[in-house]
Amino acid sequence: MTVFTCEDTFEAMMTCVYDAWASRLGHDNLRLQLEPVWQQSLFCDYVHVDADFGKAAKVVRTIQRKISYEAYRQVFLAAMSFEPDRLDAIYRFLVLGFAVGGKLTRMLSRPEVVWIFELSRKANTEANYFREFTRFSQVGPIYVAHIEPKCNVTAISAAHFADRMPSEYWMLIDDNRRIAAVHPKDQAYYMTRLTPEELDQLRETEEEEDLYTDLWREFFESIAIEARKNQKCQRTNMPIWYRKHATEFRKGRIG
Amino acid sequence: MEIRSELTLQEKLHILADAAKYDVACTSSGVDRRGREGYLGNSVAAGICHSFAADGRCISLLKILLTNHCIYDCKYCLNRSSNDTVRTAFTSREVCELTIEFYKRNYIEGLFLSSGVWNSPAYTMERICEALYLLRNEYHFNGYIHVKAIPGAPEELLAAAGYLADRMSVNLELPTEKSLRKLAPNKTHKAILRPMRMVSDTIAEHRLAIGKSAQMERSGSTRRLGGGIFSGTGDRIREKTDQSGFVGDVHPLKEQMPAEDLIVRGSQSANVERESFSLPAELRRQNLQRPFAPAGQSTQMIIGATPETDYQLLKTTQYLYQTYDLKRVFYSAYVPLNEDSALPAIGTPPPLLREHRLYQADWLLRFYGFRADELLNEERPDFNELLDPKCDWALRHLELFPVEINTADYGMILRVPGIGPKSALRIIQARRHGKLDFPHLKKMGVVLKRAHYFISCNGRMMYATPIEERYIARQLIGVNEKENWQIRHSKKGGFRQLSLFEDFQMEA
Repeated sequence: MTVFTCEDTFEAMMTCVYDAWASRLGHDNLRLQLEPVWQQSLFCDYVHVDADFGKAAKVVRTIQRKISYEAYRQVFLAAMSFEPDRLDAIYRFLVLGFAVGGKLTRMLSRPEVVWIFELSRKANTEANYFREFTRFSQVGPIYVAHIEPKCNVTAISAAHFADRMPSEYWMLIDDNRRIAAVHPKDQAYYMTRLTPEELDQLRETEEEEDLYTDLWREFFESIAIEARKNQKCQRTNMPIWYRKHATEFRKGRIG
Repeated sequence: MEIRSELTLQEKLHILADAAKYDVACTSSGVDRRGREGYLGNSVAAGICHSFAADGRCISLLKILLTNHCIYDCKYCLNRSSNDTVRTAFTSREVCELTIEFYKRNYIEGLFLSSGVWNSPAYTMERICEALYLLRNEYHFNGYIHVKAIPGAPEELLAAAGYLADRMSVNLELPTEKSLRKLAPNKTHKAILRPMRMVSDTIAEHRLAIGKSAQMERSGSTRRLGGGIFSGTGDRIREKTDQSGFVGDVHPLKEQMPAEDLIVRGSQSANVERESFSLPAELRRQNLQRPFAPAGQSTQMIIGATPETDYQLLKTTQYLYQTYDLKRVFYSAYVPLNEDSALPAIGTPPPLLREHRLYQADWLLRFYGFRADELLNEERPDFNELLDPKCDWALRHLELFPVEINTADYGMILRVPGIGPKSALRIIQARRHGKLDFPHLKKMGVVLKRAHYFISCNGRMMYATPIEERYIARQLIGVNEKENWQIRHSKKGGFRQLSLFEDFQMEA
């Protein structure tokens, strides 16, 4: 068994798929795994793959052309999920996909397809949640938001905010992965990595309070109808772990 | 009754958000609009909720009243003129700034602007339009706006509001004229339905002008079904309704309608003479750049304050969907706010479970191809408290079950309790590529704990289930009981001894 490993970026994952496929070892004789590999198996060869833009682009193009755009969308979202085995799942999905073509994503009776379907749905749901529950605070002319998603949804959510606020300066920061989407006024946004020092500095922006944070809390309290109070429903719709950075729930205002 | 201008913005927000919270529509859905450089905001057709209040209801829009001054004296309303409360009003600028600043912080998806009737409907509508105009044109707000049309306001103002907003709504308040007369002496159905008709016709006219069909788009499932309340041309609907005796019925709203309104309008009936807003040509040309209420029209009814049955409410709902092409009909469980002999006493718990059942039925009408007559009838005018309407319907039609998942058509699969439009579509697509079994269904999102009584895969049911109404009802009530209990006792959490005979419908 040969194990192809790569680091956790979409580009590296696609390159890894390319190299594994091109190795001609036979699909049953290889596995794909994300780094870091904590425990190596005794009878496996480990091959590290470095990200290569050209190879990754080829794989993406081929998926879109030979299978479907929907399949590509699902692969991308699944790659952003937090399932440790997602790279191998993507590989199995693509092996089947290149054999059957465009109908792949509808074949929900096949375990490979269901697996990717579930992963992509999970990532997509979470991206939608962060579209809803992300809160920006104003720091001078810039709006800064912090999130701590389980799936790597920063880039996906940022695309939504770029459309929503094209003429504002804003920044969306994933505190755990230390990556940020930065959007200058009237320009395209870009992704960047943050050093721990930069992140510490940026973390303070969340403490920023102004008239509108108070007004929002006032509105949030006033809009609830006492006679219909239903905390369980509130928790189902807005689970507590999403509330970490929500203005209306901060300062021990949970519930 | 004086405007107290010395209130701070925070106090005003407290009063006017508090007064607006009994309006139920808080959706930001129905229109897809990309952002534009130099503007703020976009709109997503599925709608985006931004938070959930302590009552579990979503907060999507900044829901406020422009003012809580009101010349009307509707008995159920907090802002009725005979109530002694602090009255205040936002200025247009305050509304705009709140909206813009909240929007930029991603607190809200847009503005929901309603108002008490201040001096006169015309004066109120003018103030509303002023705020919206400022928001769109000076603050360059491109997000979602839902505006209430005040019945009795001049047509020009209602038209202007429609061009500035995404969704308009006129509150029907109560389903029958009798109840309305009793509780809202200053309102009549005629005055409410006229602007509703005009908004709906102007939407249709505008849609035709830009090359769409006159009727609003409905969900994918409804289009695929071909049956249901939105289907077909006006003639076909009419024929069907004649058969079911609908037109012959004494419909609660029918008496109020002018005769031509009784023709249910269909997608092909472009030549029907419409009674839409007329605007000066100049203004109209300018405004054509903005669609007229692209997210459609909605309305809301209060339930539990008057003695209407669920059947009447559901019939009215269906009628509104068909005749006025409404996007949504909302129900508001009545929360007693005022001491009045004509109303339930203060402290009466709001009929939350009933409201829940009506919404479930509303979904069945809009997404599942059901018609009001299938769910309820004169003999059974109210929903079963213990079972949701879909399970209830299935139990009364056991002759149609079990449904074979690998061969049944889309419409029938959609009628199985525990299967929704999405999973039904997945089933249809997946079974072309291989036989489906129960584990597959589970992965696709089918709720097997409800569905397994009604389906078979490859001729086999999941368990050895007798297709017997009593047995399945008992099982399903067990599944539903917990949810129902939570809805009913959401606040007080009072305990009640379960009774074998009442709760499980067993006879001694």
